[in-house]
Amino acid sequence: MRFSEEFRDAELGRGLAGEIHALAERAGAELGRPFKLMEVCGGHTHTIYRYAIESLLPGGVELVHGPGCPVCVLPMGRVDDAIAIAQRPEVILACFGDMMRVPGSRGSLLEAKARGADVRMVYSPLDALRIATRNPDREVVFFAIGFETTAPSTALTLRRAKAEGAANFSCMCNHVTIEPPLRALLDSPELELDGFVGPGHVATIVGLRPFRFIPADYAKPIVISGFEPLDVLQSIQMLLSQLVDGRCEVENQYRRVVPEEGNPRALQAMAEVFELRPHFEWRGLGTIPHSALRLSDAYAELDAERRFPVPGVRVADPQACQCGEVLKGVIKPWECRVFGTACTPERPIGTCMVSPEGACAAYYSYGRHARGDGTEPATAATSEAEATTATPQVLA
Amino acid sequence: MTPRSEPAPAAAPERREHEPGCEHEPGCITCGDVARPMRVLEVDEAHGLAVCVDERERREIVDIGVVEAVAPGDTLLVHAGAALHREPA
Repeated sequence: MRFSEEFRDAELGRGLAGEIHALAERAGAELGRPFKLMEVCGGHTHTIYRYAIESLLPGGVELVHGPGCPVCVLPMGRVDDAIAIAQRPEVILACFGDMMRVPGSRGSLLEAKARGADVRMVYSPLDALRIATRNPDREVVFFAIGFETTAPSTALTLRRAKAEGAANFSCMCNHVTIEPPLRALLDSPELELDGFVGPGHVATIVGLRPFRFIPADYAKPIVISGFEPLDVLQSIQMLLSQLVDGRCEVENQYRRVVPEEGNPRALQAMAEVFELRPHFEWRGLGTIPHSALRLSDAYAELDAERRFPVPGVRVADPQACQCGEVLKGVIKPWECRVFGTACTPERPIGTCMVSPEGACAAYYSYGRHARGDGTEPATAATSEAEATTATPQVLA
Repeated sequence: MTPRSEPAPAAAPERREHEPGCEHEPGCITCGDVARPMRVLEVDEAHGLAVCVDERERREIVDIGVVEAVAPGDTLLVHAGAALHREPA
C-alpha cells in the first residue's frame, strides 16, 4: 500500500541518521547543550518509540514529546460531564476506544459502563450516527475529541445528521485546535526548545499558514512531518539543516500529502458546523482562550451540552500525576514519580498513560528499549510492566 | 449503494458494535494524528460515501465529503471514518 512501506527502508534510514550525526556535530559545539526538538503529535511519539528512532540519534539531539494527543490533554471535568450524560437511561454514549479509559474524578466511562451506563466504542462519528438510526427510541450522544484532523469527520457527520433529520443524535464537542497550545508552550518560561516536528495530518487540513507564527514570532523552525520512520528522520535532518544554516522557516517534509493551503472543503465544513469556544481547559497547560471548538448556533439542536444538563465542574488533576510537566517537555515520562508503579496503562492515573499515543504509554511500551544507556527507569520495573512491554521494530 | 464501476464488489459487511480495545493497535487511529491508507472499491456519489479496503483487507464505508473526484482504485488517507486526502490510481 502506498504511503507506508516505501518509508521504512533501513538503508535510507541509516543514511539519514549519518547526516543527522554530521549536522549535530557541526552545530552542536556552538550551542553547548543538546538540541531539543519537540514532536507535537502523539502519532510521531508512537513512531519514534515503535521504530527506536532515538537510538539512531546522536547524544546532541534530544526529542521532547509534546501535547499532541487529544486524549492526553482532556481535563477530568470533561470526563465527568460525559459520564453525567451517559448515566441517563435514555442515552447511548458513543466514543473512541481510548476515551473510555480516561479517568474522571469518579472513574472512567468504561467504569460507568460496568455500572450500567450504555457506553459504546466506535471508530468514527459515522458509526455513532448509524447507532442512532438503528435505535430511534434512544438518544445517541457522540463524544467528539481530536485536533483538526478529526474535526472534519465530526463536521461531516453532523451535516449528515441534520440533513437526515436524525432527531435522536447529538454531539458533545471536545475538539481542540493546534495553534493556541503551541503558543502557550512557546510562552512557557520553563521550556527550552530549538524546533518542532510538526503534525502532518493536522496540516493536511489546515495547511502551513497556522504554523507560520512559530518562526515569525518565536524564531523557531518547524518541519511538517509524515508518520513513517523515514519521514521522522528526514524531518529531524531538515530541522538541523535549518539550524546549521541559520534559517528559520516552516518546511513541508510531508509534501506527498500536505498541500500548502490545506483542505478547503474540510475547512469550510468545520467553519459551518463549529465555532471557537471563548476558553477551554487543557490538562497541564491550564485554560487557553480560543483553543477549542463547540457547535455553532446553526447546529445548536445537535449540541448534547444544550440538550442535556452537564455539571461543568472544574476538577483539579491528581497531585501525584505530572502529566502537565510531561506534556510541556519539562520532564521525561520515566521521571514522573508514579510512572510504571501507581500509573500503568492498565490503571492509568494520568491521561498520558491512557492512549498508545500518550508519551507515557508509548514510553512504557517501547521506550525502555530505546534509551540505549542500559539503565532502567528507577520506578518502572514491575512484573506486570515486563509482561506488557513491546519490542521496537527494526526498520525493514 | 450505486457503484460507479463494474464489476460491483460486494457491499461492505455490517460493522459490529465494538467492545473496548482497539483493532488499530498499537496506535489508535482515531485518537492520534494518524491516517490509514485505504483503496477505493466502490463510490456512492449521491451519499458522499465510498466502500474502501485497507492493507489487511478490512472493509469500511468512508465519508468522502472533503475530497474531490474519488474513483475506484484511488488510495484515500482515512481518519476517523473520513477521507482526508486522495491519491489517484
